[in-house]
Amino acid sequence: MARRPDEEYDYLFKVVLIGDSGVGKSNLLSRFTRNEFCLESKSTIGVEFATRTLQVEGRTVKAQIWDTAGQERYRAITSAYYRGALGALLVYDVTKPTTFENVSRWLKELRDHADANIVIMLIGNKTDLKHLRAVATEDAQSYAEREGLSFIETSALEATNVEKAFQTILSEIYRIISKKSLSSEEPTPANIKEGKTIVVGGSEGNAKKPCCSSS
Amino acid sequence: MVGCEGLAGLLCKKSGGEEELGVFYPIRPECQENASRTRFRLRAGKTLSPRKWHAAFCEDGHLDIAKVLTRIQRGGIHPAIKGLVWEFLLGCYGPNSTFEERNQIRQRRREQYSIWKAECKNLVPVIGSGKFITTPIITDDGQPITDSSTNNDQGVHVNNAVSDKKAIQWMLLLHQIGLDVVRTDRTLVFYESETNQAKLWDVLAVYAWVDSDIGYVQGMNDICSPMVILLENEADAFWCFDRAMKRLRENFRCSASSIGVQAQLSTLSQVIKTVDPKLHKHLADVGLGVQPKYVLHI
Repeated sequence: MARRPDEEYDYLFKVVLIGDSGVGKSNLLSRFTRNEFCLESKSTIGVEFATRTLQVEGRTVKAQIWDTAGQERYRAITSAYYRGALGALLVYDVTKPTTFENVSRWLKELRDHADANIVIMLIGNKTDLKHLRAVATEDAQSYAEREGLSFIETSALEATNVEKAFQTILSEIYRIISKKSLSSEEPTPANIKEGKTIVVGGSEGNAKKPCCSSS
Repeated sequence: MVGCEGLAGLLCKKSGGEEELGVFYPIRPECQENASRTRFRLRAGKTLSPRKWHAAFCEDGHLDIAKVLTRIQRGGIHPAIKGLVWEFLLGCYGPNSTFEERNQIRQRRREQYSIWKAECKNLVPVIGSGKFITTPIITDDGQPITDSSTNNDQGVHVNNAVSDKKAIQWMLLLHQIGLDVVRTDRTLVFYESETNQAKLWDVLAVYAWVDSDIGYVQGMNDICSPMVILLENEADAFWCFDRAMKRLRENFRCSASSIGVQAQLSTLSQVIKTVDPKLHKHLADVGLGVQPKYVLHI
């Protein structure tokens, strides 16, 4: 049976959205996958996911984005969902300093449960709330540099930089995967094409990646 | 309850159209398009009407629960009496109790609720004030957080460091409850009112204080919301929620490695595996099984 056009892809990349409750993870997901923003959205319970197939570096990539509940108590189940994730979007709310302060906790969470080579991007969301901004871009930028994360500020409401954020992380994942394919016999695109989740090798330790600035 | 009966009696004369139900759960005009529509319809002779409900009580107050349940099963409950009926369905009152006994129980429970609420208010003055919080008020080690730009109302802050472990654990939940309260059923006119949002917040906060084993877990807000809408009295709403939680609380029990609801998911997974093995395999293949198996390529 022929695959439907939306099922044809070269790579399947699993990416997780994490960050404190109420920072806008679900709306970033709906903006990216359906170009929708819901003012009446409910809290996410447990885990949800959505996909979108798009072109990354000339390849067709199916991005499978997992969205998790922000409450710490849900960590018990959400940590299992880091398995197989190639990327993580760590979101905070630029109007709520505590959500930025908690970024370090989330990084620890990732380093404990995710693959050591997972690509991490820090996202400051809700830039449309200009008069309420409480986290300076420069502070987040320098934090990201110190921790070796990519960084971008977004507004899911105004659709600012959302596309760019996902494109950037997917490109970075692609670059790592294609490098892997060249240097190793094992994880060929054929394996990925079958929809299996792969984990990039953990032998290289906690290598820091160059920061990708949004400005 | 004469007033309630009077309103319901008036409405019962109309046909069971959507307009009539809209009177009970009005949706904000700007949300009409996105709000989910109820499939419930009033059906004359089938729906448990206010008249039939009142007729199901004998003189001293015993309820003919079998008759009531048959009606509900056939045609649901008229919204005008839903809160009253739910109190029985959830087990707040036994059908064999008398009017007098129920009044006493109700009185006692309201007093108990106000004692617990006072304990909470003593720790965090914003409880019961008609306002609520959405940003943390203390740190993990009990130090007050004061420099929040959004919590600038008087009475919101905690002034002194807190040392009691139970109090700290509880206070760390309060902003999470607030973050979920503002996102609960917000297409409804009911939640446009900050007072009503605060009512939901108070009930959840007091529950978290009383049932400290479970505390508050995201999702409990959705269970509590209908009670807060249906029961005008906050204490009565609390006790309905408490009864519902008696059945559901294990789903919310969290340990370091699991959450209660997973036991149910595991059972569901077994059922699917038996009934529809193909679907079960598909779910497992896309990593949606309860214990997904991942293929590792290192």
